[in-house]
Amino acid sequence: MATDTGLESLIDQTISVITNDGRNIVGVLKGFDQATNLILDESHERVYSTKAGVEQVVLGLHIIRGDNIGVVGELDEELDSNLDLSALRAHPLKAVQH
Amino acid sequence: MLPLSLLKTAQGHPMLVELKNGETYNGHLVNCDTWMNIHLREVICTSKDGDRFWRMPECYIRGNTIKYLRVPDEVIDKVQEETVKRSDRKPTIGGRGRGRGRAEDGVGRGRGGEGGRGGRGYQEDGAAGGRGGARGSGGARGGGRSGGGRGGASRGRSQ
Amino acid sequence: MLFFSYFKELVGKEVIVELKNDLAISGILHSVDQYLNIKLENTRVVDDTKYPHMLSVKNCFIRGSVVRYVQLPPDGVDVDILHDATRREARGG
Repeated sequence: MATDTGLESLIDQTISVITNDGRNIVGVLKGFDQATNLILDESHERVYSTKAGVEQVVLGLHIIRGDNIGVVGELDEELDSNLDLSALRAHPLKAVQH
Repeated sequence: MLPLSLLKTAQGHPMLVELKNGETYNGHLVNCDTWMNIHLREVICTSKDGDRFWRMPECYIRGNTIKYLRVPDEVIDKVQEETVKRSDRKPTIGGRGRGRGRAEDGVGRGRGGEGGRGGRGYQEDGAAGGRGGARGSGGARGGGRSGGGRGGASRGRSQ
Repeated sequence: MLFFSYFKELVGKEVIVELKNDLAISGILHSVDQYLNIKLENTRVVDDTKYPHMLSVKNCFIRGSVVRYVQLPPDGVDVDILHDATRREARGG
C-alpha cells in the first residue's frame, strides 16, 4: 500500500475522538485493531454546551468499540493549550445517522 | 497493544460497559471472546437516563451491542507485564495465535505504579464507576473504589 | 475495489469530507484503505464557528463508515479512465 493508513503513528499520542453518539473524548492512544477498536488511556470527555464553557469529565482507561468511532484526530498540543476551553460555546455534535 | 488483549487481561476485574442503547452494566468480567462478547458477574444494570437499576447475578452481552468499556487504570500495566514475560521465554509453543506480535518497546514508560502485585484472579476489590449514572444503586455488595488515583469526580461507586 | 483504487489516485489532493453527523472537514488526502477509511492532513472544519470541536486537530483519521460524501477536486476525475475501470470491474476483472 502506498501510504500507511493505520493509526500506528498516533500510538502514545494524545488524540481526540469523535464518537457516533456525538461525544468528544480526548486521551492517549495505547492500542487499536482492524475494526478500529481503540484503547484510550487517561481519557476525558469534553462536554460542549451553549450555556457554559467546555466541561471536562474524567473517564480513565477505556476501550472504545470501532462501530462507535467517527473521527480520530491527532491533538496538536500547542494549538490545544492555546485554546480557551472555558470560553468555547457550541452545541454538542449530533449523533451519526446511518 | 490490542484492545482485545487488554480486555482479556481485565478478566476478574470490575468494569463498566455502556451499550449502544445507552444502558450501562457494572460488573466483574468473567470471560470474553474475540467478538467482544462478554460475561459479567454481580451486575448492576442502569437504564439510559440513569434513574432505574437492576441487579443480576450474571449476564452475557453480545459484543456488537457495546459502545465502550471502562476498565480500571491498573489493568493496562498488567498487559504490559504479560507481554514482557511472554517475550522473555522465547519460543512460545503453540501460542494462541492472536497477533500480539508487535513488540512493546515502550514498556518501561509511564505511570510509575506499583509493580506486579502477583495474583489477579477473582478478587472482589472494587466496582467500576459510572458516568454520573450509577450512583447509589441499592445494596451492591461491598465495593471498594476502583482504580484509585486519577478518577476523581466521575468515579461512581456502588454501595 | 474500484473506489479504493480511485481514492488512491487522489492522494495529495484537497478534498472535503462530509460526515453523517453533518460535520464537514477539509484537508489534504493522505491515505485511504480497503474500508475507505480516510486520513486527512492539514484539516479544517468547514464551519468551525459552529463546530469548534476539532480546532486543535490538524491531522485526522475518518472512519469510512461515517462518511456521507467526499467532495473531489474538479480535476480529480479522469472520466475516460474511470469508465474503463468501471467496465473492467463490471466484467469481474
